[in-house]
Amino acid sequence: MAVTPPEIDDMPDPIVIADNLEKRFDGLTAVDGVSFTIREGQIFGLLGPNGAGKSTTISMLSTYLRPTAGDASIDGLSIGREADAIKKIIGVVPQDIALYPTLTAMQNLRFYGKIYGLGGSHLESRCRELLELMELWERRDDRVEEFSGGMKRRVNMAAGLLHHPRFLLLDEPTVGVDPQSREHIFETIFRIRDSGTTILYTSHYMEEVELLCDFITIIDRGRVIAAGTLRELLKILGEGGVIELEIAGGECPGGLTARLEGHASVTAVKQEKNRLLISSDNSAHSLPPVMRELEAAGCEVASLELYSPNLEKLFIHLTGRELRE
Amino acid sequence: MRNLWNVTIKDMLIVGKDRGAWIFLLITPLIVITVASFALGPAFEGGSIEAELLLADEDGGAVSSGLVEAFRKNENVVVVDAGRGECEALEKDGQEYEVALVIPAGFSGAVEAGGRAELEVFVDPNSNITRPFLVSVIQGTASRLSAVEVAAKVSVLEVMKVAPGADAAAVAGTAAAAAASELEDEPVQAAISNVGGVEDLNPFDTQAPGYSVMFMLFGVMTAAEGLLLERESGTLGRLLVAPVSRASILGGKLLAQFAIAILQITLLFTVGHFVFGMNLGNSIAGLALMIVVTAWTATAFGILLASMVKTRRQLSAVGILSVLLMSALGGSWWPLDIVPEFMRQLGHLTINAWALDGLNDLILRGKGLDAVLPEAGVLLAYGAVCFIIGIRMFRFRSVS
Ligand SMILES: Nc1ncnc2c1ncn2[C@@H]1O[C@H](COP(=O)(O)OP(=O)(O)OP(=O)(O)O)[C@@H](O)[C@H]1O
Ligand SMILES: [Mg+2]
Repeated sequence: MAVTPPEIDDMPDPIVIADNLEKRFDGLTAVDGVSFTIREGQIFGLLGPNGAGKSTTISMLSTYLRPTAGDASIDGLSIGREADAIKKIIGVVPQDIALYPTLTAMQNLRFYGKIYGLGGSHLESRCRELLELMELWERRDDRVEEFSGGMKRRVNMAAGLLHHPRFLLLDEPTVGVDPQSREHIFETIFRIRDSGTTILYTSHYMEEVELLCDFITIIDRGRVIAAGTLRELLKILGEGGVIELEIAGGECPGGLTARLEGHASVTAVKQEKNRLLISSDNSAHSLPPVMRELEAAGCEVASLELYSPNLEKLFIHLTGRELRE
Repeated sequence: MRNLWNVTIKDMLIVGKDRGAWIFLLITPLIVITVASFALGPAFEGGSIEAELLLADEDGGAVSSGLVEAFRKNENVVVVDAGRGECEALEKDGQEYEVALVIPAGFSGAVEAGGRAELEVFVDPNSNITRPFLVSVIQGTASRLSAVEVAAKVSVLEVMKVAPGADAAAVAGTAAAAAASELEDEPVQAAISNVGGVEDLNPFDTQAPGYSVMFMLFGVMTAAEGLLLERESGTLGRLLVAPVSRASILGGKLLAQFAIAILQITLLFTVGHFVFGMNLGNSIAGLALMIVVTAWTATAFGILLASMVKTRRQLSAVGILSVLLMSALGGSWWPLDIVPEFMRQLGHLTINAWALDGLNDLILRGKGLDAVLPEAGVLLAYGAVCFIIGIRMFRFRSVS
């Protein structure tokens, strides 16, 4: 599916502003001063490894958890002081399925719809519309406990959409979902965005975020480590690509990094033990001088890889760790 | 307020669809009450019923033999030995017998191993003169096996608490034996000492109120578990981020539980009255009042239980223990008239004692509404205290 996020020319208005959000659980700081702005109509991606603080951030925005410090506003309403008003305009799709297993898909949606103030024929038609969108209309009268994981996820998502929220929080909606359902969920997310809903999407899959999101914030250990559009983020690695080298036999000699950075086409060099990540404007141009430098330093190359930049490599570049550990 | 109602409807729907819950709320108590009543005998003496039961014992083990023996001893049952083929043929029309029981091979082993043991019952669908009676005898006798086992487990639990080193198997054995003899003896003594002067007393009259109150408490315990399940499974958290107040969430759930408890005991008494000829006393208003206030207190007790524990596992341990203790102390199993004075006073710390004081006044002594107002007042206040502590202490978010 080749979908490129639309370029944002004139910036739409901010709808969500997070200002130094912080959440401490006794002894552990799960979210450590996170700030970001989400603009109307965006699909905003929050990318980070397990335990980065994504769900905790969502919990604070959805008013489930009270921040230890900092504040956030949604559509001008403060999450601390105007929680009741916020609950009416947000849609929440939690990471863990929050459905009643012995009730049918329809009964679950009807219940949530009523909670959001829907009723009568409007509620019925809205439930139908969403179940059709999720391709579950035929299964409407089956108990949710009889559904597959992917089908449950889709009902879970529909439950957050019933009242046409202005702002939708999706917490890893594709976990445990087969590729086909995943595609379907993506299509649905684009449709929801096109109908005017702003979306916060969390994931630890960089491919998903690359595909879906107009703006991406990467968090790690409760802190924002990078933010921007996909292009802006990948620029950090260099536009032309990355050369990844492994040096045979232990560490590289000191000063090598600095000498490599001296070359015009090389934009950044990152070294961990015997591994070198070299970002450049054009890897093909940079490769010969890089190899010459290594030879001069007496290093033998054990393996060599050239690739175009992606978020996975960016995460390694920024943290020295893999996104999925 | 509208959302409170939405939550109530949703919870009633969940319980309504839960066949296991209905068996637990209605069928189990009916079986236990029936067994307890049969233990008293007089109701069915004098050849009022003599039903023929076709029986095939394919197991031939210790437990199955005991079971067959129990049926033979029952004066109202005539056991006719048969093979499986004859038993199965009963499902077809035109048979001489109405009910057949097959004890499948492996039954004794399953009971002894504490596993799931099943009896196969075949009925003639077109005739039901002795069918309800025989089926209840079968269920009652079989449930006695499991009731004895439950009591044994609880005793082990208690012993393990005080002495972790105690030999659990040995204790369980002793406890099961003790529990079994108790099931047989206690209600007999109890009822006889209680019936003096009352004419035409049906054993159901003495047994049904006590066991109904006990099962109502078990019922609210499962409802409290349902509340904790909502917290553990995340639906409670999901509701907290929806535009519905905490008061509506909790109020809605409690209202559903209250309604179910009333329905449960009303149905039990109705079946008792129309099927087993249970006497309901002379004051329907008094009975209705006692049912409502008992359901209220039980519901409030449920939220108190739910607020005191962190997990469902803790709840079943604390819940089963407290319901059994309250039932024993509070007169659900034998009348408090036969226990020493200080035990009677201790017993009045329980919901059961106050509820049964009122219900027995109405059912056994034929008193009117006025007579039960004090008990109703105590139960109302009892419930209010549990309710206030419960809703204040209840945590909506999981305790991690
Ligand atoms: N209620 C809580 N009590 C204590 N610690 C918590 C609680 N909730 C989260 N944490 C801790 O906060 C950190 C961040 O958790 P969070 O669930 O926000 O991560 P996440 O980015 O959503 O991870 P995942 O991708 O696994 O869902 C973790 O270390 C977690 O153990
Ligand atoms: Mg998470």
